[in-house]
Parts: sequence; C-alpha cells; structure tokens
Amino acid sequence: MTQQQPIPDPAMFTDDAFEPLHGELRVQKLTRPSLSYWQDAWIRLKANKRAILSLYIVIGMLLFTILGPQVWRVNPAEQDLLQVSSAPGADRSAVLVAPYRPWTNIPPAPIKPGLKLVGQATTQKVQLIWAPIPGAADYRVYRDIIAPDRQAGIYGLPLGTTGSASDTYYEDLLDLRAGTTYYSVVAMNAEGKDTAKSETLKIKLIDGITASEAVDRGLLKPDAIPPLGTILQLPLHPAGTDYLGRDMLARLMQGAQVSLFIGIVAPLLYVLFGIGYGSIAGFLGGRVDQVMMRFADFVVALPFLLFMILFKIGFGIGPGESGITPLIISMTILLWPGTARLVRGQILQVREEAYVNAAQLLGARTGYLVWRHMIPNTMGVILVTLTFAIPTAIFTEAFLSFIGMGVAPPTASWGSMSNDGIKSMLVHPHELFFPALMISITVLAFNLLGDGLRDALDAKMRSRE
Amino acid sequence: MLLYAIKRLILGIITVWFIATATFLAMHAVPGDPLSGDKAMTAQIRQNLEKKYGLDKPIGEQYLIYLNNLAHGDLGISYTQKNREVNDIIRENFPISATLGIMAVVFAGIGGTLFGALTALYRNKWPDTVIMLAVILGISVPSFVFAAFSQLIIVKINTALGFSLLPVAGWGTVSHILVPSMVLGLGTMAYLTRLMRSSMLEIVSSDYIRTANAKGLAQTRIFTQHQIRNAILPLVTVLGPAIAAITTGSFVVELVFAIPGLGRYFVQAVQQLDYTVIMGTTVFFGAFLVLMVILVDLLYGFIDPRVRLN
Amino acid sequence: MTQNGSGETQPPLLEVNDLKVEFDTYGGTVQAVRGVSFSIEGGQTLAIVGESGCGKSVTVQTLMGLVPMPPGRLKSGTATLRGENILGQTQIGGKDFRGSEIGMIFQDPMTSLNPTMTIGRQIAETLEVHRGWSRKKSLARAVELLEMARIPEAAQRAKQYPFEFSGGMLQRAMIAMAIACEPAILIADEPTTALDVTIQAQVLDLMQDLQRDRGTAIILITHDLGVVARMADEVAVMYAGQIVERGSVDDIFYRPAHPYTVGLRAAMPSNNPAAEHRLLPIEGSPPDLFSPPVGCAYAARCPHAMRVCNTHDPAPFAVGKGHFGKCWLHHERVPGGAQRIVSAIAGATTGDVVQPASANQGDAR
Repeated sequence: MTQQQPIPDPAMFTDDAFEPLHGELRVQKLTRPSLSYWQDAWIRLKANKRAILSLYIVIGMLLFTILGPQVWRVNPAEQDLLQVSSAPGADRSAVLVAPYRPWTNIPPAPIKPGLKLVGQATTQKVQLIWAPIPGAADYRVYRDIIAPDRQAGIYGLPLGTTGSASDTYYEDLLDLRAGTTYYSVVAMNAEGKDTAKSETLKIKLIDGITASEAVDRGLLKPDAIPPLGTILQLPLHPAGTDYLGRDMLARLMQGAQVSLFIGIVAPLLYVLFGIGYGSIAGFLGGRVDQVMMRFADFVVALPFLLFMILFKIGFGIGPGESGITPLIISMTILLWPGTARLVRGQILQVREEAYVNAAQLLGARTGYLVWRHMIPNTMGVILVTLTFAIPTAIFTEAFLSFIGMGVAPPTASWGSMSNDGIKSMLVHPHELFFPALMISITVLAFNLLGDGLRDALDAKMRSRE
Repeated sequence: MLLYAIKRLILGIITVWFIATATFLAMHAVPGDPLSGDKAMTAQIRQNLEKKYGLDKPIGEQYLIYLNNLAHGDLGISYTQKNREVNDIIRENFPISATLGIMAVVFAGIGGTLFGALTALYRNKWPDTVIMLAVILGISVPSFVFAAFSQLIIVKINTALGFSLLPVAGWGTVSHILVPSMVLGLGTMAYLTRLMRSSMLEIVSSDYIRTANAKGLAQTRIFTQHQIRNAILPLVTVLGPAIAAITTGSFVVELVFAIPGLGRYFVQAVQQLDYTVIMGTTVFFGAFLVLMVILVDLLYGFIDPRVRLN
Repeated sequence: MTQNGSGETQPPLLEVNDLKVEFDTYGGTVQAVRGVSFSIEGGQTLAIVGESGCGKSVTVQTLMGLVPMPPGRLKSGTATLRGENILGQTQIGGKDFRGSEIGMIFQDPMTSLNPTMTIGRQIAETLEVHRGWSRKKSLARAVELLEMARIPEAAQRAKQYPFEFSGGMLQRAMIAMAIACEPAILIADEPTTALDVTIQAQVLDLMQDLQRDRGTAIILITHDLGVVARMADEVAVMYAGQIVERGSVDDIFYRPAHPYTVGLRAAMPSNNPAAEHRLLPIEGSPPDLFSPPVGCAYAARCPHAMRVCNTHDPAPFAVGKGHFGKCWLHHERVPGGAQRIVSAIAGATTGDVVQPASANQGDAR
C-alpha cells in the first residue's frame, strides 16, 4: 500500500455520519433471487439456444405425427399408379386420352431418315416409325432415361425387335413413366447382332389418363367430360410417391406414428422398469442388491442388437401383426439395466450424502427427504437418460426395420421406408431421402435436447460457476 | 494383474454361458418349431429331420446336448444350406468382417482422437464449430443412410470421371475396404470425438494443467505431454462398447455394400430363419464381444499406471 | 522500497498496484479482486489472509497468468517483477517467468500433479524447459531436489506416480518442483489446507528452511492464522476482494487496525488450554460480489459500524510504520476509534494471544 488514496473531504459527511448504526440498517440485502432447482434448470435450458430449437423441433415432430394426418387426409396405403416413384415437384399434368385400342392403321414409313413419333407420346402408349436403315436385317428398339452412348453401343433397356427389315414401326406399352425418354432404333445384321447404325429420338412423355380412369379417381365428373387432349392435373404429392405410388407425405406421417411410438413408449417402459429395479436394489442393499446387480451385469453383456433380432424371431409375428409390440417388449427386456444401475447408484450416493445425513439429524421426515433431496438428485439424471434413450430407440427401430427385422409391411415406419427407398436410391433418391431426413432430424433434436437438459440439470456444474 | 485377468476370464465364460442360454431360450420360444416353415414336407421327412436335429427330445435334454456341443466348439449344421457346418460359415466369413471391423476401429480411433483434440484446442473457434456440427450429424444420421449416400456419391464421382475410381460394392481389393470401413467407423468416430473433446476440456481446467502452466511450460508441451495422454484414457474404456457397435453396424454396411462378411450372412440367416446359423453366430458374436471387452479392460490397465500398479 | 549502497531506489522484487479482476458469469459480473496493492522483498514472507472467496487466490493466480480469460477479466492494475511488467503476460524478455522466477504450489497436492507422469519427470520437466538441460541431467537433479524436500529413497520415489505418494509427500514433491529452478519468489496457495495437522508442520518447516538457505521470498495464501503466526513477516488481511489491513505480523496480532482482523482472531482456536477462550464466529456472511456495497464491505458485519460506513468506502489510514487499516474508525472525527478496535480483542480473548513467529520463534517449533 504505497499509494495513499485520498481521504474524502470531511465536509461531505453529514453530522451524524459517525454515529454508530443499530438494527435494520446494518443488513445487506441479497440482490439475487433464490431459485428452486427446477426454476434454475429451466432458466439454464432457456439460455441454451440449440436445446430450445430442438425442443421446438420435437414439438413440431409431435404435431406432424398427431395433427398431420388430420390436415393431410390422404390414405397412406392408396396407390397412385399414374405417379409411381414420382419426385416431389414433378410434373403432375396428364393428358386425357382415348381408351387404348390396338395399333392397326400404321402409316407408311417416312422417306427422310430418322425416328418419328406417331400421335402423342403418353404413358398409355408410344408409337414410333422410322425410315428404313440401309443394310438392316432387323431392328431392335431401346429405351433409356439418359442420353444413349452411341460409341459404346449403350442404348438402355432393349424393348424388342420388329421381326423384319420391312417393319419399321414399334409400339411401346411397357411400364411407361412420365419424363424425358430416349428411344433408339438400332439396325441389326443378318446374324441378329446390333450394328453401329442407329437412330435416336428424345421425347417428353406425359401421363395419359382415360376419361373413365379420371372419373374413377375423382378428377372428372362423369357428366362433364372435356374433349380428348385436355390437360388434367393429377393429385398432388408434396413429398412425391414411393415405388408403389403411395403418397410419401402420408406414409411419413404414418411412419412417424410408428417410429415415435416405439421411440417414446419403449424407453418409457424400460426406464420405469429400471427405476423400479434399481431403487429396490439400492434401498434393500446387501446381498439382494449384489445378486440383482450381478444379474443386470449379465443382461448388459448380451449383444443388444443380436438379441433384439433373436427376441423378435422368438416372439414370432403372425399375419396381420405390425411387429411393434415385440419390438417394444424386446427393447424393454434388454435395455433396463442401464437405468437400473444409474438409479441404484444415485440412491446409494444420495443416501450417503452429508446433506441428507444433516437433514436427518435436523429431524427431516422421510417424505421430506425423498421430495427435497432424492427426487431432485435422481430426477435430473433420469430425465436426461430418458431423453437420450429416445433417439437410441428410434435408431434401433430404424436399424431393425432396415434389415427387415422391424415392423412388418405394410406398416410404415421411417426405418422400413428407408429400407424400401434404398433399393431405388440411384434413380429416385427422394424415397430414401425423406425418411432418412425424418430419422436424422428427430434423433438430432432429441440428442441436442438431452445435451441441454444434462447441462441444465447438472447440479455439480451449477456450483462450479 | 494376472489374478485380475483370470477373474475377468472366468466371469467372461459365465457371461458367454448366459448368452448361450438366452439364445437357446429365445429360439425355443418361437411358436411352432424351426421346421414348420417348410410346408412341402411330408410327415416322414419331418420325423427324420426332427430326429436328426434332436428336436424330438425334451427341451431339457436338447439344452444339454446344445451346451455339450458348444463346449466342444460345435455350433451345428445349417438348416437351409445342407451339409454346411456353422463353424465353416464363420471360418469363411468372419475374417472378412474382422478386416472391415479392424479398419473401422482404427479409422474411428485415430479420427476421434485427432478431431477431439482439435476441437478442444480451437474451442469455440471455427474448427470446433465445424467438427462438432459434423459430429452431431454423425451421431444423428443412421449408418445405412451414410452407406447409401456414400454409394450414391461414388456412382456420381465415377460417372463424372468416366472411369471407376472406387468400386460401388463388393469385396476383394484394398479399394473395396476403404469406403465401407469409413462408413462403418463414422458413428463411433463421432462418439469418440465428442468424448475426447469433453475429456480434453475437463483436463484443461484440471489442477495439474494449472500446475504445468505455473511451471512455465509452453502451451504445445502442455498439450502434447500432459493433456492428450490423459485425455485418451477414457477413450480406451469405451473401446469395448465401440467394438460392439461396429460389429453390429457391420450388418448394415455389409448388406449395403454387398460384402460377403459374417454380418451379412447373419442377416440373411435371420431372413431365411436358419435357426442353427442364427444361434451359432449369435453365440459366436457374443463370445467375441465378451473377449474384446476383457482385452480392452486389460489394455486399459496396462496404459493407466493407476490401474497397472494396483 | 529498499535503498542500495549508491542511494538509488531499486524497484521492489514484486510490486502489485490497484489490481482489479472481474469474472463474467451467466448470473452477472463478479468483482473478485477490487484494487489490491502490495509489495514484497527477497527473503520476506508475506501472508495473505482471509476467508474463502475473499479473492486471495485469484490475486496470485492472476499474477501467474493462471486465471482463464475469459471468463476472467483484468480491469486495472499493474504488477512488476524487479520493475518489469508481468501482468497480462507470462514472459519477461522472451522467457517464461513462471517456474523460473516465481514458483507456485497449490492447495490440493493430490490433484495438482499429472496422474500419468512420474514424479521425477514432472520435476525434471521444469529444468528441461527453463535451463535447457538434458533429460538425464534434469532427472538426476530432480532426485536431489526430492532429497532436499526430505523424501526418503528419492531415487526410487522419482520413478513413482503421484497416486503412490501420500498427501504430505506430494506437497513436498510439489515444493521440490516449484523451487527446481531456484525462483526468487515462491507462492504457496493454501499449501497445508488439504493436509493432516501433523503433516502441515513438516511442509511449513520445509518451506522455512528453503527460504533461509536461499533467500526466497514467500507469498503465503492462507486462512489459518496459526500458519500466519508461524511463518509470516508481513501480513495482508483481505476481505471481499480488498486488502483491509496491512502490517507486520506483530501489528496484526497485537495492534490490529481493522475490526475484521479482530473478528478473525476471535474466531481462531487457541493452543493455550489454560486460557478460558470461547470461539466467536463473525456474524453474517461476506457481501455479494456481484454488486458490492457502496460503503465499507465489512459494515454489515462490523460491531462498530457507523452511518458513514454504509455510504462511503474508507481509505487506508496509516496507523504506524508500514501499517495500514482500511476503516473509518481511524478518521479524525472518531476520537479513540482505534482504541475501540483493540479493546475488542481484550474482551473477546481474555488475554490469550497467539505467539507470532517473530515474537517467539523458539516456542513455536
């Protein structure tokens, strides 16, 4: 203290400045309000932006699951065969065509070389005609959705041959899909091999729908049929359709019900069982505790997913069952020990804590001890465990459904939808993308929420600051 | 230490017995019996088969036969592939899964340590943000999605290049291992990164790092000599569960990448309800995982002087 | 200030002026250190005394650059080692002064050493870094240092890990580590708090012997007045982030100039069984440092509080040579104020006085 601070001018003091103080004036008020455990936890959680965003996502997901089907009233099992595997935002227009009749009035072959389209190219039929290619013994017709590679002789799907050099026409009725399509006609030699001579035509196929089909689908009224060639709008599928033409959005909602049901009910069940088992072991202590926990150790040692599969087989799924119940039971049987260990440990620990002893010595009743000390000190951990258990359960369901061991078709779950989608992933990525996205977002949200809760409820962290 | 190892081994054998019993019980809880799936079976053939597989005996006796065979390392004969022993199937297919799994563990371990250390070093700066974002994705996206999208990307790259840079699926060469093992290790790597980060951060605020600072050591020295080594220790303890996760993860990856490993075989057996193969592989995987956990624990004891010397 | 032969004033070994440190927490800003000034010369022992949370550890940790910033923040102040600034930096002339010029030991030796590195390596490391010695030479020196710290079988012990040591041995190893490079100052942050009473004496003896042999200055952070009486030459009493009294050890024990010092004395157990002595706790709790009071921080607990104490922060009043008390009772308008403080001792302790080290060192041993 080498520097002397100036002593304030005595003139600034009032006359009674040096009077001794008594009573109330002496107490300094605490400026911070005292908060209960849960109030404090909530304030911390609210400060965590990621956790709050995740909470909104979880709520949004629940709304999507529960209210979604009320808003988007489309039957998830109904097949829209005109829009199979259509991507979201795909062209929904369909042209009104006459009912199909065999192609009889074939026009003469054009003189100019090249491939020509006869009539309108719709998903009902595509009729092609071309000028004879010199030297061709026969013609083979190919179709592809990408431009053919003429150098390599890759033209796509071989549709068939015309049968003779004179037949220079072809009608394609095979499994037509709307969109850009490349037709190639390759001249064949006498040995039946493709030659390098070929003609290619790029056309845009649009959906064709007959009046009766349109009436069946409710797109037209039977008493007001517009003329042929009218463009109709097919039903909207905001998330596209799957490989059977089912509405993806409706299926995602149905899948959400299954996935979230399993994801929430299974953890709830096994966490509850774990709490019961763990608290009994913890409260009884001694030999009972040892035997109970040793058994739990063995259950932990079971390879989880393998036994999920075994139990699923063990329960067996009869026809018409969704496989949800066996999944939940299997998860409960296998996953309870984690919570049981945790709760037991917490109870043993809290029982030994000095503050519990102190409270006992001060005459606290058991009820007060449980409410004031046991609950806050175990509830936090249990809540966090539960939050982390949900993504694990969703993952497990997805994993099992993916390898065909989860919910049975036709029940949709995000996992089984991913399994369906992966088969046509290269051509129709949206069929995998949407269910995968739903799983990822949900798991992400629950994980972040769990992180936030853990940080908010961790009493140790609170005292550290 | 030796006593500890023996104790762990005995406990491990009991655990394997427990796994085998649970497997047996689960399989015998199946409504009907393993042969009921085959409808075109006459009563005579059925009787012969029941006799052959011992299914006509009471369940207690079946259990004893099963345990006896197991003790001799005999896992039985496949139901669907006649005259193929489960042992042969494991011998043929497990090395492939093991190669893939080891690569995945190595990839996850190195990546997890490296990225975890980086995030702790650049805490709250952009490398931390970027890596932790990737980690959250790695934890939240199912492995089959990664597998599928990596295949998609390989196809796109191959198409763009005009030649096959990496094979999309299959097995045989080194390039076949690369992508599947990365996909397989991804989830574990994300988990290890997270663990490494929190472990590093805990150590940063520990008393002995404060001491190291008070000694005037350079930050790089503190980081390499004091922080990393202590931070890796908790990573070793989760290596057991990590191996388990990678083992089961291999089912999906082998399925998607068409790798002829034991995982894919197991899934196929499950789909075809080939009971002996299911039981055999389950017990095998169970025993393998128990062994791995014991090995990892012993390894940990070796690395951590506190455990080694006690 | 010391005068050397030529009459020039030399800067003190360590001088700290008006140090203010704050911490940003989610509940607000904590003003942990609120204008601390002190200085120390070679061979001297300065004890900084105060209850938990008064800012004594933060003060020295700030000097050592051990306070993480953020959340910590240096608000103002200077600190110089032989006239060179050390505040907000860890190096003087390109060399880290920590470990070489100032050594430090901590409260909990059990957690303050790297659990996976041998004791010998941890000591040798300091020498490698500051002296540039080889690994082998450093290790050999580490064994000598352990011997100096009275660790039996030092050569074997150097190869052991911290968990194989007892608490007292660890703290002696910590001291060996802190003095490895023969620093001019040794900061001991509650060095005996985590130790058994019987071990405490060993550690304190070791520190005193090393100081006598090498002329090391010691800054001793403690809340134990017994330790202060035994070790200190100079004492600074801290309360709520400020030094409220500074003086020689005799001043503090016999002529306290602040009611808080008196309160600390009264709350301390006596080692004189003959004396009739009741421990008197200081009523109330320290002020909230999120928003410290305008006036004297101790006013709310002070038995002599006056109206002015709640409205104006007292300045340090000089009450003797190198003896300051930060209390309004020394103001000229309070005649006999200083007597009020001292008279409180007589009332509280009925003549039982702890033996300060300088007063009767022979008995204290």
